[in-house]
Amino acid sequence: MPETRIPANSRARLGAVAGDLRVGAGGRIDADGKVAVSGEARFDGPAEIVGTLECTRLRAGEGSVRVSGDLLVAEEIDSRDGSIDVGGSLKARRVDVARTLHVAGSSEAQKFDVGGRLEGGGPLRAEAVSVGGQLQVAGPLTARSVEAGGSMDVGEITLESLDVGGSVRVGRGEVRRTISVGGRFLATGELTFGSLDVGGFAEFKEAARGGAIVVGGMLAAERDLTFDSLEIGGFGRIGGNGKGGRVEVGGHFDVRGSFDLEGPLEVGGAITVGGALTGERLEVGGKITARRAVFRDAVKLAGIIGTEEGLKGARVRIERRSRARGPIVGGAVEIGRGAHVEDVYGERVELHEKAEAQRIFGAVVELREHASAVEVVFTGSVEISPGASVRVGPKKVDALPTFPL
Amino acid sequence: MLSARDEPAAPRRREATDLYATVLEVVKRYHGAARITRVSYGAGMPVDRLRSLVDRLVGLGLMKVEDLDGRPAYDITSRGQEFLTTYWKMRAFIEVLEANPEDRISRRRS
Repeated sequence: MPETRIPANSRARLGAVAGDLRVGAGGRIDADGKVAVSGEARFDGPAEIVGTLECTRLRAGEGSVRVSGDLLVAEEIDSRDGSIDVGGSLKARRVDVARTLHVAGSSEAQKFDVGGRLEGGGPLRAEAVSVGGQLQVAGPLTARSVEAGGSMDVGEITLESLDVGGSVRVGRGEVRRTISVGGRFLATGELTFGSLDVGGFAEFKEAARGGAIVVGGMLAAERDLTFDSLEIGGFGRIGGNGKGGRVEVGGHFDVRGSFDLEGPLEVGGAITVGGALTGERLEVGGKITARRAVFRDAVKLAGIIGTEEGLKGARVRIERRSRARGPIVGGAVEIGRGAHVEDVYGERVELHEKAEAQRIFGAVVELREHASAVEVVFTGSVEISPGASVRVGPKKVDALPTFPL
Repeated sequence: MLSARDEPAAPRRREATDLYATVLEVVKRYHGAARITRVSYGAGMPVDRLRSLVDRLVGLGLMKVEDLDGRPAYDITSRGQEFLTTYWKMRAFIEVLEANPEDRISRRRS
């Protein structure tokens, strides 16, 4: 195949080139219309094409190759130790650039493999994008998989999977399968995703919807968050309403609106819910505050409990020395030793030693040693151990009043 | 409670652990085929400086080196992944703990 050579540090004007083109370091080519190479374009060092370049394959050595127009490569761009700078759009089958790839316009390839930095001024479409350092795309990014070792800053996204080591900032869009981020994840627009795993900090500025969410450090959702499951190692906050399946939080968790769960809620520290809290099972180690909390199964609470309208569960256990404000309603309610609660409603209510309650309404009521209640109303039986006290009653009735919640 | 901000605070000086984490995150993305030059471009540090960091990471068992086509190629180990998980989690906690208390108060008021 014939080869057209442009010596180092020289300038030429080219149009159609039959065969290969080899450009020496420092060469400059002015396009006559466009530079259309039927074979391979090879650059020995830094070079500049003023205009559009078309070729079958592009190879470049050290330094930066700049194409002021479009760069259209039928096969592969291979810049093993240099950078590529495109003033227009880029299209190739495969792109492998060691240092920096900058494209002012749109970019399209099956695979982008960039060692340092990929900067796209327009939309980027690919099967796979892999960047060692930073990925920055102004236009929509559409790809099956995206990986970056350092950081990623992209507007709209449509991806299958996303894996970034450091930090991510995305606009609106969709990641159908997994998002995995080592450090920090920020979505500024509405986002849907299959699953999200963030080592440090996850933040949603707008509503987000996804499957399993695992955050090692902190989660902050400014608006509504919908999920299948949520695990947070440290702290969490939902500015709107939360809706999902299972939730496990190590530290503190705040939900400004309602929190509606299909599965269990386990909080090691404290949870505050501005609206109604509903779920299957509840276990809180430190403090729970909610307008109302209604659970279908067991409720186990230790520490401080505060509700305005009440707390309800099939089985409720308030651990020893806990303090509860607001009515407690359950099938079976157990108040631990030395705990203080207000009104209690249940089929079976049991106050352990030195526990204190205001009014108790139950079918079967038991007060152990030194437990006390202001009033006891029951339909079945009552058992009061030595030292336990009831200021009013106990009073047996045919039917209990309607329980709250 | 949280220190979530639109604009990040002034970047703090990168400590040695930050550099180790940066290198490991880049290496991880090459799935066992990370070359030293590629890692240097990704991590944004010169090869000579990177070599000493890489030697230390390999020595600590956080990274491993294998021969690939006659040249060394690096990969993260499970211990290295463990380090990254702990590092990012700790970074998030530190960010909250070191956040300006006035920021937190103003967020609460809003």
